[in-house]
Amino acid sequence: MTVQESAARTRPVPAVEAEGIAKNYGSVTALKPTSFAIPAGSYFVLLGPSGGGKTTTLRMIAGLIRPTGGRVRINGADVTDLPADRRDTSMVFQGAALFPHMTVEQNVAYGLTLRRLPRDRIRSEALEMLKLVGLAGFERRRPHELSGGQQQRVQLARALVLKTSVILLDEPLAALDAQLRRDMCFELKHIQESVGITFVHVTHNQEEAMTVADEIALIADGELVERGTPEHMYETPERRFTAGFIGENTLLDGIIHGHGQEARLVIAEGLEIPLPNAPVGEGRPASVSIKSEDFRLAPEAVDAVSAPVEVVDVFYLGFSTVMHVRLPDGRPATVRSTTGALPTRFRSGDRAVLSWRPEAVRLHLA
Amino acid sequence: MTHDYENPWGYRLKWLYMLTVVGVLMLPVFYTLYISFNYGGFGAAEYEFTWLWYRTLFENQEIRTTLGWTALIAVIVVACTIPLALLAAKFYQRTRFKVPFVFLMLMPLFVPADVTAAALLVYFKNLNTLTESVLGLAMFELSLWTAVIGQITWCLPYAFVVILVTMARFRPEQAEAARTCGANAWQAFWHVEFPQIRAGVFASTAFVAILSFNEYVRTNFLKGGFDTFPTYLVSYMLNTGMTPEVYAMAGLFTVVSMSVVIVVLATTMLRERS
Repeated sequence: MTVQESAARTRPVPAVEAEGIAKNYGSVTALKPTSFAIPAGSYFVLLGPSGGGKTTTLRMIAGLIRPTGGRVRINGADVTDLPADRRDTSMVFQGAALFPHMTVEQNVAYGLTLRRLPRDRIRSEALEMLKLVGLAGFERRRPHELSGGQQQRVQLARALVLKTSVILLDEPLAALDAQLRRDMCFELKHIQESVGITFVHVTHNQEEAMTVADEIALIADGELVERGTPEHMYETPERRFTAGFIGENTLLDGIIHGHGQEARLVIAEGLEIPLPNAPVGEGRPASVSIKSEDFRLAPEAVDAVSAPVEVVDVFYLGFSTVMHVRLPDGRPATVRSTTGALPTRFRSGDRAVLSWRPEAVRLHLA
Repeated sequence: MTHDYENPWGYRLKWLYMLTVVGVLMLPVFYTLYISFNYGGFGAAEYEFTWLWYRTLFENQEIRTTLGWTALIAVIVVACTIPLALLAAKFYQRTRFKVPFVFLMLMPLFVPADVTAAALLVYFKNLNTLTESVLGLAMFELSLWTAVIGQITWCLPYAFVVILVTMARFRPEQAEAARTCGANAWQAFWHVEFPQIRAGVFASTAFVAILSFNEYVRTNFLKGGFDTFPTYLVSYMLNTGMTPEVYAMAGLFTVVSMSVVIVVLATTMLRERS
């Protein structure tokens, strides 16, 4: 056994590996050089605002567009120069990607017929996949006879049946209504867990991302901003952008003053947030974020840190209530509370005190 | 969709417009057809139905030969034009210079027929001189092939536009989906895109066949020592005037062209209903 081989034994080969992949269209940059590895068998989500480069990333993994720089590896093999049909990947598109002139079964079987498998084997595998996605009995239908959700299931079956090591999903649920999207999320997750294939899923919807992902990579402005588990991205984001995109956070920018126990972020005259033992020096610009549910709004201070605020808007949502408030210098903050836990029904224009625990404050240096 | 608030005159004018179009465009043609079945021909005192003129037509060996040439040219022109039009439409999808490309493709429609024909004639003459001096063989003598080339320049823009319109409805994600299922570029086109643009290809085939069948100016300049049906008809007419045979020939033209159109329309409608 060579050294390389033993290294390969100890460190599993990632299903997808991007090494400095980049895409430019003339002078326009769709994706700056980006590197990441996706562990085999995981559900990986590329999340971000539209136009940020996530679909470009996915299409480079698929082999539908060629990177202007960097390499793509699938199961360790360099596939950068191979077109989509010669990669060990299959794909689910946003919509309208079923072949309208074929039946559901022919759609699902298409990839297998290209492989020239025996006809009865093709049929049994296609039917098995349709059963897996909950569409047994639909094999003779045409795509236009199916609902949007059913069409996406057929697309999933068409990708699954090929038994590729990676399935790429490009906004697969974006065309569905909210309720259906939620149900399909659970189902996607279940299916991925049961088949164990690596899923790479592109979405701009954070709830969708949180529901299905083992790991989320946040991509914006042609850059991989941050990656981590849904818990990490939500609870302890490192980057300011992450805190602004995921969850419902109040972001405050300021300058660090003081050292050690005395360190604090000065946001405005009279508005300071203590940051004991902040790992940065005096005078550095920094941001903090606080989750809306970590704020407490009450007639008087109820937590260690507090600031007087004016209530601007109150949105009663049943289980929870969202309140937009204004900090002393006019900055907005968002508070979410379970309706039952509110000490009083606030109205717009009320004066109140916003309090939070010091641990709820997350510091972002970039 | 509701028309409840539409001005009734809008509706009446539409009908009037349509009737005018039919009257101006179609009545003379149908009248010619009507005359072609009259024993006495045009201007006869009374109408007497007969197949005689058509029978004379088909008994005329010369005319049968011209019909043969016409059909042969039409088949070759269709067989060359449709693949060329498909290629052009595929190229259009990919090129970044769409407007100049369409302009280039449609140019032959805007150059007068006799100018194109004369230009090609001179061009072929020059090519002949060239190939003769280089290869010792005049490769562009006027023949079936020069007539075919002349007709293709005329038919290609139409076929291109018809195919382009159907192709515009095709969703490129489907071709990508085929690629990710393991199809190469050709398979993705043949299995997924072509079946969906088949109607357009079919329509443009019929269209090109009619255009070729009816083409006179270019063919007359560029044909070899034979006549097609249109060139025969014109020279016959110039020699003999409007004899009953001319009416029958015109009638034959109309019937052939119209039946192609009707077949295309019927198939398209049947396809859409199913």
